[in-house]
Order: sequence, then structure tokens, then C-alpha cells
Amino acid sequence: MNAQPADLRAALAKTIVGQESVLEALLLALLSNGHVLLEGPPGLAKTLACRSLAAALEGEFKRIQFTPDLLPSDIVGTRIFDQRESAFATVLGPIFANVVLADEINRAPAKVQSALLEAMQERQVTIGLASHGLPDPFVVMATMNPLDSEGTYALPIAQMDRFLMKVNVGYPTRDEELQILDRFAMADTQPVRAVASLADVRAWREQAHAVHVDEKLKRYIVDLVAITRDAHAVKVTSKAGASLRAADLIDYGASPRATLALAFLARGRALLSGRDFALPDDVRAVAAPALRHRIGFNYRLATEDVSADAAIDAMIAAIPAP
Amino acid sequence: MARKLTAPLVLAVVAWCALASASRAQSLERLTVESFALSTDAARPQVDAPFHLIVSLRVREQVSEVDNLDLPMLAQLELLGDERSIVSDSRGTQYRETITVVAHAPGAIAIAPATLQAIDARDGKAKEWYTNDLRLVAVNSPANVMRAGEHAAVWALEIAVAVVAGGAVVALIVLAVVLASRRRPVAVAVPVAAPEPPPLQRTHRQDVEDARAVLGAERTRATAIAVRAAIWRSIGASEGATLGDVLARPGCNVSPLRETLVALERSAFTYDEDLTAAIDDAVSALQRYSESLT
Repeated sequence: MNAQPADLRAALAKTIVGQESVLEALLLALLSNGHVLLEGPPGLAKTLACRSLAAALEGEFKRIQFTPDLLPSDIVGTRIFDQRESAFATVLGPIFANVVLADEINRAPAKVQSALLEAMQERQVTIGLASHGLPDPFVVMATMNPLDSEGTYALPIAQMDRFLMKVNVGYPTRDEELQILDRFAMADTQPVRAVASLADVRAWREQAHAVHVDEKLKRYIVDLVAITRDAHAVKVTSKAGASLRAADLIDYGASPRATLALAFLARGRALLSGRDFALPDDVRAVAAPALRHRIGFNYRLATEDVSADAAIDAMIAAIPAP
Repeated sequence: MARKLTAPLVLAVVAWCALASASRAQSLERLTVESFALSTDAARPQVDAPFHLIVSLRVREQVSEVDNLDLPMLAQLELLGDERSIVSDSRGTQYRETITVVAHAPGAIAIAPATLQAIDARDGKAKEWYTNDLRLVAVNSPANVMRAGEHAAVWALEIAVAVVAGGAVVALIVLAVVLASRRRPVAVAVPVAAPEPPPLQRTHRQDVEDARAVLGAERTRATAIAVRAAIWRSIGASEGATLGDVLARPGCNVSPLRETLVALERSAFTYDEDLTAAIDDAVSALQRYSESLT
């Protein structure tokens, strides 16, 4: 089909009103071969975005609703006995799709989360004695609901680290909500037409991998990650106006996986902008989504009434761009 | 010719970049800067007479020291001393640095602004503040002239004593000579004020033209980075900002300045194979921008 990433973005924008950050996250995950964690209230078009992405790519979409009684086999698949053949047959789970929406991932217990996260990392699952490769491209968009903590299991940071980025999804603006009314209440929904192929995505991924990241930018990336581990000089203002040291709010900083994620995402953003070299703007734009789920904040974040994003923004602002 | 024209700018941007990178390495304080000024107690300092440059900084926070404050280069002056004072009260902190200097030659003295790098407590962004610059004119000191007169008077008195001993007639003649010789230094002592050179005022267009000439003459990554920094500084953008920050400034996201900033950004960060084309593009953009300035 020989399409460009901008064509895909334009096609999605025709169906999804607003939610620029979600659309960009999905595209960056595609280009960077990673996965996205979304945190936000329900009803913000997350399912529609994933379904539209799969349709625009002529790919397969699956949605998995995570519940406390979910089992790993419900995700990856299982072996069942076929009485006619008198043999066990493998039934692949819903994870075998190009775009997977793992809805409310923190409602399932740790062993189920682990099954999903290992599949995300290894890009294959083992059922019985046989390993099955997942389709390529393969993107998981997992959601967490911040408003409802009852009956949820917290995701360990080590597991969250496997997500390339975490995006906080907000409510649409007034104008966007009016557009949503016009588009959906009047039954004027337009199905997304395919504008690219799965082969196009694989080609874009190679182009993104070849995007140049200058030495100055590499040092900037390393500095951004390093300051999350030693933020003694960074001051954060609480919602009440008190000035605090960021280091006092953090138990541990981001891992080297964050460094890699920043470079991947900056490359992807450069390609989305039509460039074959990354800029400081690319790194800064993806810094918060790449870092926010990788920093171990302690209890003082809550007791001092500081927003995690405010602390992250202060750390990012403390590093001058090259 | 091009190299001769561009040498001062290259030196300036390289020195500026060196200072900036050194201070960047340090951690930045979070400050609410209320005032930041450079002043002097002598707009027309006398040659060989010490005078003071005063850097005053007022911040809303209570701080015990101020880091990342760079004093101006004092190439035309001799530094004699430096005294700092910090006074904090409930309304904030007043920082004052008094630099004692002396000029050894008459003429114009240009003193660049002092700079401060900190995180702006108002919006949490790393910024660089600048004081005003100073233009002084050093003049000949009347004290020097007085000393010359005193030496001449002593010499005349010695001659007079010798002449009195020789004879009255001769003494009268000699006295007349002495009186004449005493008048001579007075006549010489009228100082001729050094002609004041025209003030060193460069236009933004001159800066842009110099930047284009520098980049056109030295098509290297390092020059592109230095020119990018110089152009950013000339439009008031702080170091440590991104291109997006700069384009968000009023008046920066308009053609042909926008194209110039984008082209310089490309020159600074693109891959080596694209560098020549990127610099060609940047030189052309600088040319168009320069022509658009009146």
C-alpha cells in the first residue's frame, strides 16, 4: 500500500475526536514495537481507538476484559481434548491479534498480569510444549482506572516497566464533546477504512529504527533518566504551595529500560513528524510518558499532596535541552 | 575578508557557549527573579582610578547563596577585588556583588551583561536571565595632570635658589625664566579630552548577517551549533529551551525567522551525510531573514 504514518494518523482522527495523546501513543507504540498503558476514566474512546487502529491497518483487534477470576489460559489459550480426533488440540487465546486492548488490567491477579506481560515482552507464548509466535505487528494497549481502586491488584513497577509508555487520558474539551455529540448521536459514524497494511507498519518500524539520534541528544536522554535517581537538587511544589525536594518523594528512579524507551519514542516521534533525525523537542515530548510509570514514588507523594506529574515535570525542567 | 569579519562573532559565541556549558553542568536553583541589574558608580571612570561594578539580584526566595551567576568578561579592565553580600528577609533575598576594577587606558569600555541560570519558580522551566550591559568611557585622570604640575614646580624652585646665590641681576633674569617655566606646565596641563568613540551598538540585522557569514565560511557542525546559540540569544531565547519553546515565543513562529530556526536546528542535530545540505539551507534561511530585517 506504501502509505505513510501521517496517513494512518489522519484516518484515525476522522473517527476519534480529540484524544491526540492516545492516538500519538498508539502510533508511537506501533513504530517503536512497544506497548501502551493508559490511565484514565472510562468512556474516553479507548476501545474505539484500538478497534479503529486495527481496521486502518487491516489487522485483527481483540479486547480482553480483566476480571478477578480471569486465568492465564483465558488470555494466551489452552489445549482441549478433541473427542473426534482423540487428541489434544491447541486453542489460541485472544492475545493472538495485532491490536489487543487489555481493559482494566489491574482487576486481574498477579499471575494473569504476568502471563500478559511476559507475552508482551517475549512476543510468543507457550501452550503445552509448543511455542506460538504472536502476530507482527503486535501492540497491547492496557487500561487502568484511577477512580476505582476497590477490587484491584496493583501492578508492580517491574511489570509496568515493560510498557513503553504510560499516557494519562483526560476528558475531552467542550468543543470536542460537542463534536462527539454531532458525530455519534446523529448516527454519523464513519467506519475507518484501511489506509495502510501490516507490511507498511513493519517498513515504518525499520525507518524509525534508522532515525538519527545525535550524541548531544543521547546525553540529554541519559541525563533525564539519571535525575530520576538523584533528584536532590530538584524542588517540587505541592498543591498547597510547599516546596519539597523531589529526592525525598522517590524511592527509586527509572531503569535503563527508560533510557531505551526514550530513544525509541523520540525516533518514532521524529518519523511521525516526517524527519529522519530526532530533536530535543522529540525527547522532551515523550519524557513524561516514558518515565512516569518507571519511577518509584514513596508515601510522601500522597502525604505531602504532590502530583507525580508535577514531580516528573520538575525533573524534566531541571535538565536543559541541548 | 570573511574570516576577518566573522572572527569576533566566532570568539563571542564560543566563549558564550563555554560559559553556558560549564554552568549547565551544575544543578539549577529554583528562583523567582524579581530584578537583576548591572550598574556602576562611575559612568566616566578616570584612568588608573578604581571604580565599582555592582551586580544586584533580587529573588523572592530566601537563599543562602546564589549559584550559576556568571559575571561579565572584563577584558578592558583590571580586576582588583570582589565582594558579595546576601541579605534575606521575609520578602526574599537581596544579592549584591561589588566588583572593584580599574581602567588603564582612556576610551570606550563595553561590559557584557551578567547572566543567571536557574529554574523559574513561576513555571518550573530552566531559564537564563541577563542584566543590562554597560557602556563606559574612561577619561584621563586630573590627578595625573596635577602630579605633572607638581614635579615641574619643584624643578623650578631648585633653579631659583641657585640663581639667587649667583647674583641679583642674574637672579632677576633667572626669576623671570623660572616664572616663565612655571607657567609652561600649567599651559601643558590643560587636558585634551580623548575623543569619545561612537557607541558600540550592533543591530540585530548585523548579528544575523555575521551569523550567515560565519556559517557560510565555516560549514561545520560546531559552527552551526554556535550560530544557533547566537541567534537564539539574539532573539531573547534562553539556553536549555527546545525549538518548540522558542517558536512559542511571541513573534518567533513567523516566516522567515521560523524557517531560520528550523534550519539551524536541523544543522545542529541531523546526521553527518545531511549536514552539508542542512547548512546550505540554514545559510539561505539566514540570508532571507537578514533581508527581511529593516
